Amino acid sequence: MLTVALQQGINGIVFGSLYVLVALGLTLIYGVLVQINFAHADIVTIGAFAAYFFTFVFGGNYLVSIGIALIVGAGLGWVVNAAIFAPLRERGNELLPLIATIGVSILLQNAMLLWFGPIPYAFDSPYSNEVIRLWGGTFITWQNLIIIVVSALTIALLYAFMKFTMMGKALRAVAQDRETAGLMGINPNQLVMLTFVIASALAGMGGAMLGPILVLTPFAGTSVIVKAFAIVIIGGFGNVEGTIIAGLAVGLIESFATQLINPGLTDIVVFTLLLLMLAFRPTGLIAEKREENV
Amino acid sequence: MSSEARLRASQSGKRRWWLLIAIVVVATCRCYFKDSYWRANLIVCALNVILAIGLDFILGYAGQLNLGHSAFYGIGAYASTLLIIKLGVPFWIAFAAGMALSGAAGMALSLFAVRLRGHYLAIASLGFAVIVHQVLLNWISLTQGPLGIYAIKPPPDIALPGLPVISFGNTANMFYLVAGFAFLFYVLLDQLVRSPIGEALAAIREDEVSAASFGINCTVWKVFAFGMGSALAGAAGAFYASFVGTLVPDAFIITESFTILAMVIVGGMGTLTGPVWGAILLTVLPELLRGIGDLRLVVYGAALTLVVLFVPGGMVQAARIVRARLACLPMASTRQ
Repeated sequence: MLTVALQQGINGIVFGSLYVLVALGLTLIYGVLVQINFAHADIVTIGAFAAYFFTFVFGGNYLVSIGIALIVGAGLGWVVNAAIFAPLRERGNELLPLIATIGVSILLQNAMLLWFGPIPYAFDSPYSNEVIRLWGGTFITWQNLIIIVVSALTIALLYAFMKFTMMGKALRAVAQDRETAGLMGINPNQLVMLTFVIASALAGMGGAMLGPILVLTPFAGTSVIVKAFAIVIIGGFGNVEGTIIAGLAVGLIESFATQLINPGLTDIVVFTLLLLMLAFRPTGLIAEKREENV
Repeated sequence: MSSEARLRASQSGKRRWWLLIAIVVVATCRCYFKDSYWRANLIVCALNVILAIGLDFILGYAGQLNLGHSAFYGIGAYASTLLIIKLGVPFWIAFAAGMALSGAAGMALSLFAVRLRGHYLAIASLGFAVIVHQVLLNWISLTQGPLGIYAIKPPPDIALPGLPVISFGNTANMFYLVAGFAFLFYVLLDQLVRSPIGEALAAIREDEVSAASFGINCTVWKVFAFGMGSALAGAAGAFYASFVGTLVPDAFIITESFTILAMVIVGGMGTLTGPVWGAILLTVLPELLRGIGDLRLVVYGAALTLVVLFVPGGMVQAARIVRARLACLPMASTRQ
């Protein structure tokens, strides 16, 4: 019983850290722009496909392919911001950019459907079959270890960047108050672009690591993104720490719900949690802390 | 008569003419669409019109971004079908019940999310749609899950004395039934929008705080609009089930919500004619493009993105621009 619990805990952390990577991007964008990017889902999918083609068609190394997906994601983020969010920013409408990115998402999904077809790709990571035995009969595959280590490193780097570098501080300043930040000599437009590039790089890289776990079709990103939305809300929109906690929590909840209740019901559990959060604490898990900071 | 009143009178006169033309065009559809493929498409068109005007009432008039319209569509379809199959309820009672249940679900979600605005409501409704889809998939004893429900009967025949029996197994008759309801709902919403309720909704959409300070009960009207729009989706669902004859949960995935949203935006949100045109265009255009292959679905995404970027008022705004350009000089002189 304990073994099962430990094993599910490990699986939950693996999924959770990938959700964190994807959700962090959404939360960063929301922090700076107060906008939701629906096309984030397709950046995840394209990241997964980029890694797949690099590894299996061009015979590259899987670890390198994570870096490739990161670059592809960053490029896509740049395009989405330049094409959609930058032109719509002057209009000042809250919902139009969101609707436009839904359009981009439909466009990208169907373009992928055209090129890659509806049949799922078998993305077998070369590290999926090698197992490290841990205490008490639990085990972890190399693939999952890579996921945990790479995600943890990325999140730590991002956190350090936000906390200690000048640019990270400027980014947080823009998130708190764009106009005042502008008066302090920060160029908000540049920082918005930077945020988009970072956020989408995270999504692309998350996609490369999700590829072997998901059923890789052009629509793979959607199932991840709706969970990422739930995580972002549970953690509090724009709140990085909250998103990390909520992401890991959702990963663990999913993994235990799969084990204890029924694999089909995990989404219901997660989204009921989302609706309850919205009803009773729409500011997210650790909102008070943030208010103190302000 | 003030000039404004005269303008309004002439507009409502014009509207009546347009409605009449629309009725004539729709009523004569069976003369120029002879094959069953296009007749089936026409029914889909009419269903989409009902869905789109319902969503537009929530989004364009009450200003609430509902990304879960597919859920209400699904609730209406499953509720009415299950009532017929499991309890032997007559079609029209099941139809009304499906509509009522969808409306109630919409009102419940809206009431639940009444403090939420903008993005939060969008995500709450998205979450609701995911839950509904998952329940339909997993409550196998009730919905048969992914296997689906088969052999759903069309609405019962109508036998009026002295007239031939009208059977809805016939696609032409089914089309007239759905189109008739679409027309009925359109007129209903049109009246609502022009009534004081419509003005209250517009006030809430523009600025909730000032609307409340004028004594408008924002909660009541937002919940009302949400319930109304989702009830229409429920009606469309009941017709969908009886027309297609099979129900699977995947017919009501969240992508379906986005499709309906695209119709509303491309047509022109915040107008009633806009979503009608949007629904027709985005149903017919992909069918015409079928020859090009899967490219047809790309059209939805491209249309939605380009419209938001360049003509956020949709086809209605585009038509207005064109009309203004055509009548530019004479119009300007008469106005002054």
